[in-house]
Amino acid sequence: MSTAIKRPQLNADELHQLKWLLGSVLATLSAWTVFFMEIDSWVLPGLVTLAATLAIWRPAWPARVPRLVHVLAFPGIVGYVIFDWYMSREILPTFIRLDLLLILYRLIGFRRRRDDLQLIVLGLFMVVVAGVLTVSLAFAVQIVAFTACALGFLLTITLAETAGDPPAAAGGKGEPRWAAQVNWRDLLARIRAVTDWRVVVLGGGLFAGVVVLSGLLFLAIPRFELNNSLFIDRLINRQTRTGFSDEIKFGEVTEIQQDEGIALSVDVVDRTQVPSMPYWRMVVLDDYTRGGFRLSPELRSQLNRAASRTTRLRGTARFRRDTTDWTFYLEAGVSRYLPLMGNFNGLFFPEPQMVGLSDALRVVALRADPSKMTAYRVTGMEFSAVLPDADLALKRRAADPAALATGSALSLAEADRARLQAMATEITEGRRLTSPEFAVKASTWLGARHRYSLQSSLPAGAGDPVVRWLASDTPGHCELFAGSFVLLARQAGYAARLVTGFKGGTWNGYSNSYTVRNSDAHAWVELFDDQAGGWLRVDPTPGALTLDDGTGGDEGEAALQRIVDNSWSARLESLRIFWYRRIVNFDMNSQVELARTAKEAVEGTSRRMRDALEGFVASIKAWLARPWDSERIIGLGGLVAFAAAVIVAWRRLGRVWWQRWRSGHARTAGADPIRREAGRLLARLSLAGGGAVSSELRSELERLRYGPRSTWPHPQAVFRRVRVELRRSARK
Amino acid sequence: MSATDAEWSGPGTRTRGRKDHRWRRLLWSLIYPRAAERILPTVPGVFLIALCMGIGMAAYNTANNILFITLSLLLACLILSGVLSWLNFKGVTWRLVVAPPLRVGQSAAVALELRNAKRFLPTYGLWFDVRSSSEPKGARLMQRARLDPAGGDLRLDWVFRPGARGIESIELASAGSLFPFGFLKKNLGGHARREVIIWPAPVEYQRFSVPAWSRPQGGDRVARIGQSGDLLALRKYSPGDSHRLIHWKASARLLQLMVRQFAAESQEGFSLWLESDAEVWSRPEQFELLCSFAVTLAEDLFKAGRLSSVAINDEAAQPVRRVTDIEAFFDRVAVLKPITRALSTGKPGAPRRRNLLTFIPDGARGVIAHVDGNKAASA
Repeated sequence: MSTAIKRPQLNADELHQLKWLLGSVLATLSAWTVFFMEIDSWVLPGLVTLAATLAIWRPAWPARVPRLVHVLAFPGIVGYVIFDWYMSREILPTFIRLDLLLILYRLIGFRRRRDDLQLIVLGLFMVVVAGVLTVSLAFAVQIVAFTACALGFLLTITLAETAGDPPAAAGGKGEPRWAAQVNWRDLLARIRAVTDWRVVVLGGGLFAGVVVLSGLLFLAIPRFELNNSLFIDRLINRQTRTGFSDEIKFGEVTEIQQDEGIALSVDVVDRTQVPSMPYWRMVVLDDYTRGGFRLSPELRSQLNRAASRTTRLRGTARFRRDTTDWTFYLEAGVSRYLPLMGNFNGLFFPEPQMVGLSDALRVVALRADPSKMTAYRVTGMEFSAVLPDADLALKRRAADPAALATGSALSLAEADRARLQAMATEITEGRRLTSPEFAVKASTWLGARHRYSLQSSLPAGAGDPVVRWLASDTPGHCELFAGSFVLLARQAGYAARLVTGFKGGTWNGYSNSYTVRNSDAHAWVELFDDQAGGWLRVDPTPGALTLDDGTGGDEGEAALQRIVDNSWSARLESLRIFWYRRIVNFDMNSQVELARTAKEAVEGTSRRMRDALEGFVASIKAWLARPWDSERIIGLGGLVAFAAAVIVAWRRLGRVWWQRWRSGHARTAGADPIRREAGRLLARLSLAGGGAVSSELRSELERLRYGPRSTWPHPQAVFRRVRVELRRSARK
Repeated sequence: MSATDAEWSGPGTRTRGRKDHRWRRLLWSLIYPRAAERILPTVPGVFLIALCMGIGMAAYNTANNILFITLSLLLACLILSGVLSWLNFKGVTWRLVVAPPLRVGQSAAVALELRNAKRFLPTYGLWFDVRSSSEPKGARLMQRARLDPAGGDLRLDWVFRPGARGIESIELASAGSLFPFGFLKKNLGGHARREVIIWPAPVEYQRFSVPAWSRPQGGDRVARIGQSGDLLALRKYSPGDSHRLIHWKASARLLQLMVRQFAAESQEGFSLWLESDAEVWSRPEQFELLCSFAVTLAEDLFKAGRLSSVAINDEAAQPVRRVTDIEAFFDRVAVLKPITRALSTGKPGAPRRRNLLTFIPDGARGVIAHVDGNKAASA
């Protein structure tokens, strides 16, 4: 019979109340995942939250829901789904809204076991879809919270069922007893009274074990890739949030700069190769229209035609051993154009992508805006200020008309053209300058006439807006400087094009990766240099390096030290990088690499241990081989004597002291080690048979096990004698 | 291990664990467990497995790591479910307790005692399938209350109605649980079995007017323990005895407390002789009636203090003085079967006793009791 104080127990009503509470929390957790998915469904999560709050505040309210609601629920939901699909023509958002409706319906009725399980499945669907669509670190937090809640919910369901009361009335028919009078504070106090902290600690430990185990399973599950087929992230259309699209209006890039969110994270194998001021090219716009730049229709269709389903693209750069690998993690909603610094040798995706490479523009674009983070690895990437284009250079030398027209088209009114020509002449002073010379002079000219400002506006008046701005002294942003430069260059007879992307970034000191934010969005110019045989990067925005070679004066470690970010946000950002590196980007190669690393670690450790052991043995041998004198003999004898004294002292005193000390502690906890040892020996005696020890010895042992402490013989002596007898008996 | 401990079974008993640590048996039990020891998925469990397979297929089909994580988490939860279920059973022992007497047609209570030897983990939601040889379907006993740790105990009761006299086997067929999440139905063999004797059912009978029922003199005298009459014997004091019964002189002489036992009022007693010749009792239902009748008559006579001895077939007559004597007689009648005597032996003569109760068939169904050859009662 237990002597412990009887702990109270939750009755069936309290278990049902707890089940109701957990179900409402679970429904809310699931509904909130919509906020991560950016699906046009803000009303339904709000309704679910409201219903869950109401369910907690007034658990009996489902009994007041008219029966008609339950009768009309199924046809109503089906009708809504059909209407929703008809209107939106998107399958996945329709399914998500259906899921939310079903969760909502489960909150306005008293649930039976089947309904509770359905609620869990509906919630799991929401969480998984959100994870697949966003691939964000929030998924990890959400799935762990959801799992903890769902496991607690399932446990409560099982306990409530075994408590024996009939299940709650389904569909709001009548008010169950448990819902009549709910006092959450009392329930909380009851739960506190019922809870044993040791069980809570064990439960927490087990849940942590589940998380760790799932991580290990994730690493260990064998990976083999099947052909990628239709999947849910393709069932949703997503528009790019930013202005990095085929066509931009002046001011759009500046709008992106207002956003401090992360756009891009880059892993670099060799950090010394990171340039101090990288320019991440994304979109190259070669066609000027009134008030903006765009990708010319020919090049756009060429890019789209080049798109194919593949996991790798071959670039124009030659393979070099001294270049490093770059792994990009481009956040969802940034652009379908992939940021790159220049030509590359190879570009690899972890999963097949519909992607195209434009040779003329040196840009890589996905067929559609990605709905989730896009990871890709680039090898042999060049980042010099000149983007080589030998093909175009040869054609221009051969006076190919198409090549000469590339980046030179300018459709302006005569008046605008005349004003532009006057400015170009002022810059070139009527001479034919080389491209670098023109770049420097034009940038200087622009910087002298205009200040840089994010808050800029085009001056009112007639004519082309950029020409108007050029003629004024109004401050401007990077797009205006770059756009003006392109117009001036083309008017002066140089091939030029506008490039948008990101400039710079910070080095995360925790994750050792490059972080580029939307606020790093930038526009600059590429000017064709016939002498260099490529496109020369020119950044005419005041304050920027006009002809930057990417190193900015210092490079490698020194450059990184200048931009290193060790803030708390960088710490959080490193978690996201970890998530991308180790979880999202984990594939069969990573698994093989991991296995190889583990194998090498084990082999290395065993080798080190073996070496250490061999070294120790060798040193002992060497020590023994040295000539013996009286001093060494005395020293060795003293050491042996000391060791023997320690052993004897421990056996005589230490062990007894230790067991007494444990015994003193254990008396309060009810686990006396002497009694336990005596119990163990008695069990061995019973297995060995009756004649293993004398009855006198057995009675002494039993006294140690059961008798009062005042009657105990010396425990260690008894234990020793019993062990000796047991060994003797076993030999027989 | 004491005899009482040996009655306990379940995961918390040590001996069972030792036996099961034979690798071959353990491996085989994992591959093909016995019917009562299987782990079966419930409907939600089947759904969860299907969900795991669906997510797994989607994960492999798309190489999507989010799905691999979800799959890993679901598998880890299944493993957690198994671990928690194992922890729930761990340290739990049980035994069947049957309170005699058990008679045919009368409700009998069987108790299943549970004990939890875990240090701090309680046990929840077990069920136990019990059955008896007369009720093969048995019943399911649910553990609705929490079984507290550190030696906490619970008692689950089952009431059943034995259908036939004889040896009844009461068995704990299996112990199971849906704990913790209701995905898997885990069954363990019960490993508890009790055999109990079911006495014949009492029957209604009719007494006839014969002098023996009311004969004031003659016949055997019955001496049994009672509260009045002559001093019958001395015995050791046992807790609960009245202090007025202590024999102080004898206690002082023997240096231990002795109490007096008095003889009840002596009356003329009957000797009951029960014969089970297969030739005579060829009809089984008539034989059952004989057993019930004999037991009922013996019980009534004992209650009236007029049963001096009992005998079955060729056995020597056993005196009936205490309750245990009559219970022993009932036990023997409970397992009595018609016997075939060898021809050479022949039927022995009736004991030379007065007030001898014997039984003969009455037609095809009935049974008649004779006292000294006179028809005294019928059933």
